[in-house]
Amino acid sequence: MEDPALELVAHGVGSRTDLPLPLGLALYGAGAAILVSFVVLLLFWRTPKLGDAASGRPLPAGLQRAADSPAVRRGLQAVALAVAGLVVAAALLGPEETSRNLAPWVLYVTFWVGLVPASLLAGPVWRVVNPLRLLSRLLRPLSGAPRGAHRLPALGLWPGAVALLAFVWLELVPAGRTDPDVVAGWLVGYAVVQVGASLWFGEEWFAAGDGFEVYSTLLARLSVLGRRDDGRLVLRSPLTNATTTPSRPGLAAVVLVLLGSTAFDGLTRTVWWQSGPGSADDVGSGTLGLVAMVALVALLYLAGTRLSGRLSRLPLGPQPRLFAATVVPIALGYTVAHYFSLLVLDGQTTWILASNPFGTAGVDLFSTYGNVVDLRAVSADLIAYVQVGAVVAGHVVGVLLAHERALRLAPRAPASDQLPLVVVMVLFTVGGLGLLFGF
Amino acid sequence: MTARTRLPAGLALATAVLLTGCAGTSPEEAASSSAASSPPSATSAGSGTPPAAVTSQAPAGTRLAVTVTGGRADGDTGRVPVGLGELVTLTVASDAVDELHLHGYDLTAELVPGQPAVLTFTADIAGVFEAELHAAGTVLLSLQVG
Repeated sequence: MEDPALELVAHGVGSRTDLPLPLGLALYGAGAAILVSFVVLLLFWRTPKLGDAASGRPLPAGLQRAADSPAVRRGLQAVALAVAGLVVAAALLGPEETSRNLAPWVLYVTFWVGLVPASLLAGPVWRVVNPLRLLSRLLRPLSGAPRGAHRLPALGLWPGAVALLAFVWLELVPAGRTDPDVVAGWLVGYAVVQVGASLWFGEEWFAAGDGFEVYSTLLARLSVLGRRDDGRLVLRSPLTNATTTPSRPGLAAVVLVLLGSTAFDGLTRTVWWQSGPGSADDVGSGTLGLVAMVALVALLYLAGTRLSGRLSRLPLGPQPRLFAATVVPIALGYTVAHYFSLLVLDGQTTWILASNPFGTAGVDLFSTYGNVVDLRAVSADLIAYVQVGAVVAGHVVGVLLAHERALRLAPRAPASDQLPLVVVMVLFTVGGLGLLFGF
Repeated sequence: MTARTRLPAGLALATAVLLTGCAGTSPEEAASSSAASSPPSATSAGSGTPPAAVTSQAPAGTRLAVTVTGGRADGDTGRVPVGLGELVTLTVASDAVDELHLHGYDLTAELVPGQPAVLTFTADIAGVFEAELHAAGTVLLSLQVG
């Protein structure tokens, strides 16, 4: 049987997209989100209730020693570096067709989407296994001391926001995004820029400027694993964990890039976009659409946080970044809703192709090369319930976190001061459901 | 084996797949035998009365047709909804040599000017799937199953 030369749908890689959400389910979800928002505002706790950075139940000392051990980290980074090298080699030397080349599936599905469940379950995994940290360390003797280290704190998370924007643009816009050559070129280019920056700014650059590490670390704030202010690894409620997210400059930008790009991905799947503004399906319309969606969510968010701050007579400047961590659950809900089916269905491709990374005749390492992706592995109904469940759950957690944060910032302010931000969160959620419904 | 005998065989297989609940069946098994890039005679075979094997489980098939002229697609383009489990016959006539590919179901057919290609399959995988011309990269339609 002949293999398709292209495996492009309106976004990233994949052989299918989800059905539009049934109208009834979308309306129930929107109604639940609005109802919960007001219940939280009017009926929930009136004084801060969640724990702080000093809270949490310590993990066994042995586990902490292993997690913090430089040897374990270097070892994991070496494994990750070997896998990354294999993926780049497979991109350059493997089959030319996207549908038979390992690299696009590893990058866009298994790694990018898989980073979400991995970070939610196991904490900031990419920070631990980031292969670029190892490369940077190996090259350090050649470059000498990091001369720009003192400038790094002032940059905050802005470099990470830029790196993430560069990745989501690649993932969602250019037509050649799934070509193995393009994937290899982007990966190598990204590694060169990141390692170069780390040699100038020091290894802490990665925590601020590597988009994947920033993303993984941010998602890990919604896991049960945290680090107490004395450095001890602890188990604690994800709500408390999220509340302890440092409000660094640029945090809001990171969250808004994630939210806006997922919204743009949803937009590109609607009939309205495909037959209207995006019908040309070129770099120009895609770039404009992506920028417009990020700008739209940013404007709404800035307006909501600043208006809430004005009502409570708080300084307006820091408002967006003080509340940014409370929007992470909403961005996560969007992400799960959009990419859950991609990971469990088209994600199977990675495991099929890994059996023969270079497309060599006769090679079948795991006896899976002949398998076919089972697109019926999850039903359309289950996908729809996961989508609505994720968006509504993300909204509920987001509103709870924003409520707690507002009580800490302005303990005596009436609950109505929180209304502008809650309205913006409701707009994000209803808008997200609308995109899934396809308007 | 003529197209006339192959098509009902494909239908019977597709129906069997439907009746057995499809679990773990690869898309190819369900439809490969009916996915023939075929001479016009296949079209007439498809338009005849359905074989007896196709009973209550399979509703009357959906017929879709797209014509490609000078790179432009006309006919059943855009988002085309069909019911889950429906028998679909997609006929594509092109004025240029190309290859038709229906994603997800992973069906292909050679397109030759003057010889419409016909894909017949049971739409038993839910989701939205693009039918695309490989060489030109044109998306003909998005099949919305479910």
